[in-house]
Amino acid sequence: MAREDFHVGLEIGTTKICAVVAECRPDGEIRLLGVGEAPSRGVRKGEIVDFENACSCVREALSDAEEKSEIEIRSVWLAVTGSHIQSFNNRGSVVIADESGEITDDEILEVEYKAKEISLPRENTILHSIIQHYYVDGQQGVLNPVGMLGSRLEADFHIIHGVTNRIQNSIRCVKECNVEVDDVVVNSLASAQVVLDQHQKESGAIVVDIGGGVTDYIVYLDGAVRHSGVLAVGGDHITNDISLGLRIPITRAEKLKLEEGSATLGKSLPGDKIVLKNDTGFSGKEVEREMLNMIIHARVEELFTLLRKRLGDEVPQHLLGSGVMLTGGCSMIRGIREVAESVFEMPVQLTRAQAVSGPTSAFENPQFSTCIGLAKYGQAVRSESPDESFGGRVLRKFGRMFRLPF
Amino acid sequence: MITYPKYLDRSETPVVRLIGLGNAGVNLADRISMGGRLDIETVAINSDQQSLSSSVASTKISLGPLTTRGLGAGGDPEIGLDAARESEADLEAAVAGADIIFLCAGLGGGTGSGAAGLLARAAKKSDVLLLAIITSPFAFEGRRRSAQAAAALREISESADAVIHFENDRMAELSEPRQGVAETFSCCDELLGGCVESVVRLVSAPGPLGVGLPDLLAVLRGGDGNCLFGTSSASGDNRAHEALEEALASPLLDQGRLLDDASSVLIHISGPPSLSFAEVGAIMREISKKTPDSSLLHVGVSTLPDHAAPLVLSLIAKCGAARSAAAPQPRAEPSTRRPEARRLEREAPPVESEPLPSQDSFIGPDPAPPLRPPQRTAPRQPQPEPRPEPKAPAQKVKQETLQFEPVARGRFEKIAPTIIEGEDLDVPTFLRLGGKKH
Repeated sequence: MAREDFHVGLEIGTTKICAVVAECRPDGEIRLLGVGEAPSRGVRKGEIVDFENACSCVREALSDAEEKSEIEIRSVWLAVTGSHIQSFNNRGSVVIADESGEITDDEILEVEYKAKEISLPRENTILHSIIQHYYVDGQQGVLNPVGMLGSRLEADFHIIHGVTNRIQNSIRCVKECNVEVDDVVVNSLASAQVVLDQHQKESGAIVVDIGGGVTDYIVYLDGAVRHSGVLAVGGDHITNDISLGLRIPITRAEKLKLEEGSATLGKSLPGDKIVLKNDTGFSGKEVEREMLNMIIHARVEELFTLLRKRLGDEVPQHLLGSGVMLTGGCSMIRGIREVAESVFEMPVQLTRAQAVSGPTSAFENPQFSTCIGLAKYGQAVRSESPDESFGGRVLRKFGRMFRLPF
Repeated sequence: MITYPKYLDRSETPVVRLIGLGNAGVNLADRISMGGRLDIETVAINSDQQSLSSSVASTKISLGPLTTRGLGAGGDPEIGLDAARESEADLEAAVAGADIIFLCAGLGGGTGSGAAGLLARAAKKSDVLLLAIITSPFAFEGRRRSAQAAAALREISESADAVIHFENDRMAELSEPRQGVAETFSCCDELLGGCVESVVRLVSAPGPLGVGLPDLLAVLRGGDGNCLFGTSSASGDNRAHEALEEALASPLLDQGRLLDDASSVLIHISGPPSLSFAEVGAIMREISKKTPDSSLLHVGVSTLPDHAAPLVLSLIAKCGAARSAAAPQPRAEPSTRRPEARRLEREAPPVESEPLPSQDSFIGPDPAPPLRPPQRTAPRQPQPEPRPEPKAPAQKVKQETLQFEPVARGRFEKIAPTIIEGEDLDVPTFLRLGGKKH
């Protein structure tokens, strides 16, 4: 059976690479057809450090997804992350030259072009320019000015940019597997597509996607992206801390984090010990539970404190009605919600992809939020501009308009 | 006027003077001299009395007091030129007696564009090595200013021995998009100040493999006046590599790509006593890979007694000297340049030349006399690199309370650190907080 309307999201993560094949129903619902996964090698902090290894892992994940969905993957939506990705808000403004004073699509394009006219370091490229609000002759909060009359059109854009070569590395990695890239999407933007619903975007929410190598965050307010960014700290750091702090091998530390670790303090009895069984090359050890939790707590608390500090400068916290949404693999650490609540001082929810059907094991796992979000993003972009040829040249599309209907 | 000590055997030592011309030039000269890393004589020349009175220069010359009545040239190079003619005797006095003159000027305005050519000719007449440090206006200042700047630059390059040219439009490369205006400008001044310092250091530092004024002359003389400059400093295990990277990353060198066109290159390496021959060798091998086979390399190495001194690398290259006979126009660009660089250059003002001041005369028979005690050069740290390089990991670790290695980064040992607000986030949080928590 030929399915025309499906999208594939691919995320090259630090701990695993996953590919999601999803069918997009006209009503906006996403149905997962298959999820392919492969443990990741050659990726650190969300960026490729060993190209060949990463390529073979991507190939593995893609063929796993093809097998499970019984669909041949020709092109994917690719998530990118890394500490090089930065963002800011900028306003563009144009004078309506047309005598009738009617605002047309040309002005909309021009105002976006103006907003993107900013000096970036030469090696950087703009990944997304997302419309926040239009202003017509100073009138605020115009959502779609096409057809309106005015003499001056202004627009606030949220601009996300990153280092061209590092983004290209991810794209080349996918192309090595003979798969085209529809477009690249920043992790946080993709996650937000499925984690937040329209109401939450309106009332204001922070999405924090804590992955293996990096933490991506994005803030929505009044239905528009207000702020976004990447912090190069993730689950790997917790594992590393445990390994160094308790002096156990990394693999043991990872297991201990998943099975026993918790980010809240004071919940265990004094002197409570965890016995690590001996293994080849490891002679066994007893570790104090409170010590383990203290290590995790310190890291998680610091992460949230840094985030809050970064957001505090940009976004008035009291305006965020829907609070904080935690997602990503690392959000499964026990007690992380309590720590987040005490740092952000607002409601925190653990979330995963919403309005999705298919194998529950996939969409209920917060590790797949980004990937499923990619598919939804793809659908949204595609339905905005249906004429565009499938699998077009990615680079040409950088800087294309992404006016999302959300 | 000149206060350098004369050493017994040296009848003369190079006298270096820094001249700031026009508002932009005076600002730049002030910044360099206020940096306090060089003790050279500064002269401020301007037609605007107000700018002069706030300058820290030791000598101030008011240009054309009758022509402009101390009110500046108002962006008109004709007025600037008239003012300069009126004060021609003062200009000649300002250049007299020096061996090396750094002329700082911002082109495109009135005083800088109008008077720079005259001052350059005066310097030429009195046989001084003139290195012009020129900035050209932002594109958003309009085409007229660009045209004025281009005309003035042509005039200067005819008389100056070398021209270091920085386009203000490239300032964006030096800074983050949201950095403050003042910071951005100071990055630029830092970069250009670094050029001045490296030349001064080069002609004054003693060393086992010395370079001096004659080498500088050999590099700068002839050619079309365009020079390339890179300077950097680094310390730590990987200092040779880091210093090289950073020097080549200078916006004045365009990642070393502009070296393709260099006809001669002067390399000066100074460092602590631990500077090894292998490090010098490694740097030189890398540089020779980037330069054409035909280019002449001059190498200078000096060591400082200070063990904590960083490795400081300066590169000065002259491009296109071989071509100069065929291409009399100083701005004619060699075809080997990157297309982008060429494109930039054709836009209104000359874009990308980083000329050095050159010198026609030098003073002593031995051009590399130990002018000053060598320590003087140790603390200077020109930082042309705009991106904040990771500094040494913040070592707040309390080693006494926890039995770990001072900086334990575990699996992140070999990859770029995540540094936020001065803390290396790859070091376990509990280690960094260690002291506070218990």
